[in-house]
Amino acid sequence: MILPLGYLVSLIIFISVYALFGLGLNLQWGFTGLINFGHVAFMAVGAYTTVLLSLQGVPLFIAALIGAALAALLGLLVGISTLRLREDYLAIVTIGLSEMIRLIVNNQELPVGNGQWRSGVFGLQGFPLPFSNVTLNPLLQFFLIAVLTGIAGIGGWQLWRWMRKKLQQGKMSQSTPIASLIMGIIGGVLGLIVYLVGLLSLLDANSFTYKTGLMVVLLLVLTVVFWALERLVKAPWGRVLKAIREDEQVPKALGKNVFWYKLQSLMLGGAIAGFAGAFYAWQLATVYPDNFQPQITFDAWTIIILGGAGNNYGTLLGTIIFWAYFEGTRFVLPGLLPFDDARLGAFRIMVIGLLLIILMMVRPQGILGKKEELTLGK
Amino acid sequence: MVNNPSDSLSDVPLNEPQTDLDEILKQVEDAPSRPQPSDNLLLSANGVNKSFGGLKAVDNATLEVSQGSITGLIGPNGAGKTTLFNLISNFIRPDSGRVIFDGEPVESLAPHQIAQMGMIRTFQVARVLSRLSVMENMLLAAQKQTGEKFWNVWFRAHEVKQEEKDLRERAIAILESVGLAHKANDYAGSLSGGQRKLLEMGRALMSQPKLILLDEPAAGVNPTLINQICDRILTWNREGMTFLIIEHNMDVIMSLCDRVWVLAEGRNLAVGTPEEIQNNSQVLEAYLGK
Repeated sequence: MILPLGYLVSLIIFISVYALFGLGLNLQWGFTGLINFGHVAFMAVGAYTTVLLSLQGVPLFIAALIGAALAALLGLLVGISTLRLREDYLAIVTIGLSEMIRLIVNNQELPVGNGQWRSGVFGLQGFPLPFSNVTLNPLLQFFLIAVLTGIAGIGGWQLWRWMRKKLQQGKMSQSTPIASLIMGIIGGVLGLIVYLVGLLSLLDANSFTYKTGLMVVLLLVLTVVFWALERLVKAPWGRVLKAIREDEQVPKALGKNVFWYKLQSLMLGGAIAGFAGAFYAWQLATVYPDNFQPQITFDAWTIIILGGAGNNYGTLLGTIIFWAYFEGTRFVLPGLLPFDDARLGAFRIMVIGLLLIILMMVRPQGILGKKEELTLGK
Repeated sequence: MVNNPSDSLSDVPLNEPQTDLDEILKQVEDAPSRPQPSDNLLLSANGVNKSFGGLKAVDNATLEVSQGSITGLIGPNGAGKTTLFNLISNFIRPDSGRVIFDGEPVESLAPHQIAQMGMIRTFQVARVLSRLSVMENMLLAAQKQTGEKFWNVWFRAHEVKQEEKDLRERAIAILESVGLAHKANDYAGSLSGGQRKLLEMGRALMSQPKLILLDEPAAGVNPTLINQICDRILTWNREGMTFLIIEHNMDVIMSLCDRVWVLAEGRNLAVGTPEEIQNNSQVLEAYLGK
């Protein structure tokens, strides 16, 4: 096989996990304006809950759901204690919280099954993974391909509708929407690549690993969550969140329980991140506290700012660009620069910072953000 | 002292030519008769107090608004009018005092609960949601929307959609009446100051309240729009809406209000019809100094 299928499958899983994770933060910050600098805490709670429960014999999917629920509970606790304070305090409390959770799982003895306890610093290994004991029989193969094709179909159809709308708008304003066309083509090509990678790795029963199955399930989850969020932010519920982001005195004066909506946003975003955490753990197959460094939170912030805050499509695009950059530079940079690995790693993050600064100067609203919004007075 | 009378003199357009005022008063007398406000009190605030540190911003103030009336609240700068508004709507908690709205005490309720009871306030500097469209600003105001609960958005999608359609129709009708229908899809942040005031009033009406508190609806608005704003207030009042208005523009107060309450240095100074207030020597003194 010429294509590095295994690598591509892993990459698609990572991108999807980060997209899911970013969508949670986008709900909290992009739509509600809550400055959450500790988003990784929700992911850690989701990941550890899922893994620890599954080590006790709880079915995987139920364990992941409980993980998401506990992450939401964490959101409730953080929210109740800090949301009455000013915005900046939420930022400080959340970043502190995420470090606290990481340090707890680092130092705490954790129940690793069979009645054994082990210090968290050694990490968790050998926990149950989805599809790990499954051989790819024709029925499963057919089912997974059907799911994948269904997702691709929905994605393609949405893209087609979006392109047609842009073309019609272009016709009315007598201009060709070149940017939209390019964006649409890129989106289509990327979608096709994902579909083909999935299809090829599903068709060859010998190269099937648990990751292929994980990828299909994750893509399904991502599609459902994305759709559910899009529905929400376009509904009256999302309108209240946006109103809170703009000026919370207004919804308050119009009879909306601002505090309760902020809590909902924090909890829902947290639950999504918790769910992403389960997939993160399954993808890594071994989980260490260091997998939940604050860096992960700021990766999500970078992704959202790249794509344009308050835009779920922007979050998807931002994630893809972010990972394309990271993976691209991993292969290209070593040939160009005489740095060792550690320096190279730091250099890649430096460049991300530089790119963000340039983006903020050229296009402060993010790639998919709306320019008009920046010119408005308060 | 915040309200040194000599400081506030320039802010008060009391020294406008008297003829304008007469003209407006005459127009009001000629206008089709408005329903007489009933004796039913929609809102009554009794003995309300609030101190900020050593400053007694509102000192044992009383205020009553009859059902169906347009009630004015005036006073020199720093008299505590906006603070009293904040205390009534509980945006600031009073130190003591009783506020009865629609027959129920509200001083222990949260601001949003008071708004849900039908008392909607506007702000001195109009607050619009800039990055939302004018239409979205309006739709936000509607009360008890099914789609405000997130599970309904997923599981009762059809109902939410239908409701949204009805609300849109209502919003467009109100926007038409305030002359903003053509701006429905623009960002609210692109509106002028006066248009924002109109949007804020329309938004208040959209929530189908019992009482609208207007904080300086005419401040910083050009004369044409002031007329439009006054016209709207009168029309809606004829349709049964009750208003409590803070305003510095005496023409507006005199032409609109059934009853005027005067506040100075946080205390009640006088109450009466606009004519009585105009001829009250204490009031003139408070505004112009001895």
